[in-house]
Amino acid sequence: MYFALTDEQRALGDSVREYLADRFDLTAVRGVFEDPRGDGHPRELWKAVGEQGWLAVCVPEDYDGLGLGVLDAQVVARAFGAGVVPGPWLTTVLAGEAVRLAGSDDQQARLLGPVATGDTVATVAVRGEGGRFDASGVRVRAAADGTLTGTASPVEYVGVADTVVVAATEPGGAIGLYLVDPHAAGVTVTGLDSYDGTTRLFAVGLEGVAGERLAGSSAEVLTALLDRGAVLTAADLVGVAREALTRTVSYDIDRVQFGKPVGSFQALKHHLADLHIGVTMAEHAVLYAAFALDSGSGDAPLAVSVAKSKAADVAREVTATMIQYHGGIGYTWEHEAHFFYKRAKREAYAYGSAVEHRDRIAALTIDG
Amino acid sequence: MDLRYTAEEEQFRTELRSWLADSIPARWRDPGFWSVLPDNEAFELRRDWERRKAEAGFAGIAWPTEFGGRGGTPGMKAIYDVEMALADAPMTVNPLGLTFLAPTVMAIGTEQQKREIIGPMLRNEVIWCQGFSEPGAGSDLAALRTSGRLEGDEFVVNGQKVWTTNALHGDKIFAMVRTEPGSQKHRGVSMLLIDMNQPGVEVRPLKQMSGASEFGEVFFTDARVSVEDNLGGLGNGWGTAMLLLSFERGASGIGQYTVFRRQYDDIVATARTFGRSDDPVVRQELAKRLVELECLRYHAMHVLTEVEQGHDLGSESSMTKLQWSEASQDLWETFDDLLGPEATLGHPRPGLDLESMQQEAMWSRSVTIWGGSSQVQRNIVAERVLGLPR
Repeated sequence: MYFALTDEQRALGDSVREYLADRFDLTAVRGVFEDPRGDGHPRELWKAVGEQGWLAVCVPEDYDGLGLGVLDAQVVARAFGAGVVPGPWLTTVLAGEAVRLAGSDDQQARLLGPVATGDTVATVAVRGEGGRFDASGVRVRAAADGTLTGTASPVEYVGVADTVVVAATEPGGAIGLYLVDPHAAGVTVTGLDSYDGTTRLFAVGLEGVAGERLAGSSAEVLTALLDRGAVLTAADLVGVAREALTRTVSYDIDRVQFGKPVGSFQALKHHLADLHIGVTMAEHAVLYAAFALDSGSGDAPLAVSVAKSKAADVAREVTATMIQYHGGIGYTWEHEAHFFYKRAKREAYAYGSAVEHRDRIAALTIDG
Repeated sequence: MDLRYTAEEEQFRTELRSWLADSIPARWRDPGFWSVLPDNEAFELRRDWERRKAEAGFAGIAWPTEFGGRGGTPGMKAIYDVEMALADAPMTVNPLGLTFLAPTVMAIGTEQQKREIIGPMLRNEVIWCQGFSEPGAGSDLAALRTSGRLEGDEFVVNGQKVWTTNALHGDKIFAMVRTEPGSQKHRGVSMLLIDMNQPGVEVRPLKQMSGASEFGEVFFTDARVSVEDNLGGLGNGWGTAMLLLSFERGASGIGQYTVFRRQYDDIVATARTFGRSDDPVVRQELAKRLVELECLRYHAMHVLTEVEQGHDLGSESSMTKLQWSEASQDLWETFDDLLGPEATLGHPRPGLDLESMQQEAMWSRSVTIWGGSSQVQRNIVAERVLGLPR
């Protein structure tokens, strides 16, 4: 029994955290956050992300990747969450996973190398407004000639993407994944105002757009892709939550009211203890789910939904508590608490909300 | 990550499973079998079965062989817990002795204590009780007042212990006793090993809110114990107790998950019986409970890994306790919610016997109290893990 990261995986996490602490701290995050018209894609950071191999984690070695898995990718995701880091890392990794899972040999050879180096920035458009994160939530249709019409929203980082993986319902009800050039004729890209300034969100409209079908696409591949999105988002949420908790505890040790550190009051202590346990459980759940996906374990769908629902719930509560237990300063724009809160609030619903994932858990354990 | 057990561990599982299948009569699994048996008869059945289990080599799984243990791995102990739960095997009659006293004796007992205590305990010839809590010393154990007055080479013990598991069946009790008159708090306390079969020891059953009497009260009135029958040195009882309690930090979470997951499935079946399994609110609530149970399973694998790697778990046991006890309690509240107006009935309709589930639901109110209340555990996590000030 070895339920833990390897030394190499720990070292990967350390290197990401050290780089971010040194080169992309909260001051840099604030720069992106307070520039909503900017593209949210700091080029210096992206260069490092590519050079360090953080985009190559899931890319097979045959295509100049590291040939690792979701367990390794979640190490990076967690560190990015802890730093509330902007940029199209997750979207590019997920697009790469779509190509790896469903692309022909030729498509993989053409696309995965540039994904691994960061030369290609990519994103995924899998769900339309009001939809769930499953096949029923797809709002794009593929015509018999393969052209795509419909909408997807919210889609991260289309503004800087070279390619978009679009999920579409095909004639006969199958699901296809298509590579779309966001600059192609018939594509409209509309920026959305997001309270979370650590990303950029868009609505994508497609009107008879020519797409390139990933050869092995299917509803199963869409599910596999969404499960990877859910686990990596859960990892980011766990990173957000752990950092928010650490910062809150640290503040409440120093902050004195009524002549005592506020962290000495049991009303706070007991709640913070519960949150520490909650974050720890979410960390375990993310590890298990990532491993279950990598190893093709039979309980992977259950594990993914446990991880995403737990991470979403605990991150929302921890980041809200971060505001509350900082008192008035925590509600100011000047304080960083809102970066954590707003990122958690967005990610709580990305790739399936806690409620949606509990629906799946119920289906698996009550109806099963 | 590698979540497999070793080949030896899996071989152990096969042997244990086979022995359990052969040794547990089918009627023991009938609903109501245990509850209609008189308490003494049930206890003797369990005592005898457990003795045969020990003879077959399935006791003291991870204990060294020199103490009559199997010399197995922490993974084998985890497998043992799981298989015992899956087989509906009777609970041990010597839980406090096996979990706490034995490993403490192995660590700090005298050679004579090692010889005289561990073997008879494994064979269930001696049932051990734990004498910690008192009416005035619950969470605040250091407020204990039971006293031992030195008279020659004996202590004369006076006082009262409470919440004593198996008090009515106990032969001996490892008790925290203030052996230095006038001492305060954790100083001047010794852990004495007292014979319960003597005129100075009176035991009374303590009827719990569930109606059962797993616990009792133990009264000492000039009870006698040799000065030599102390564990860990006179006046050093607090240190002995802390060491003893640290042995709770095993890898039992995986076994607990197995029990709780079966309870979850039983509760789901009850939801179906009452036509509630399609109710979206009930489904959300059940799924929330399952999330916490699965987290317990992952956490238990983490703890097992830490134990196998030889790491000190420190205050992590408080996190484990909070996770399993609160998750279990919440699970049984969901059971109430899906029964609704039938929530207080043992037999809501003819032919439907929910007594054992109702008993578990009642029992769940105790799990956040014994072994360190949730509030005490939260203090420990807040202060020792998070570093928040006292």
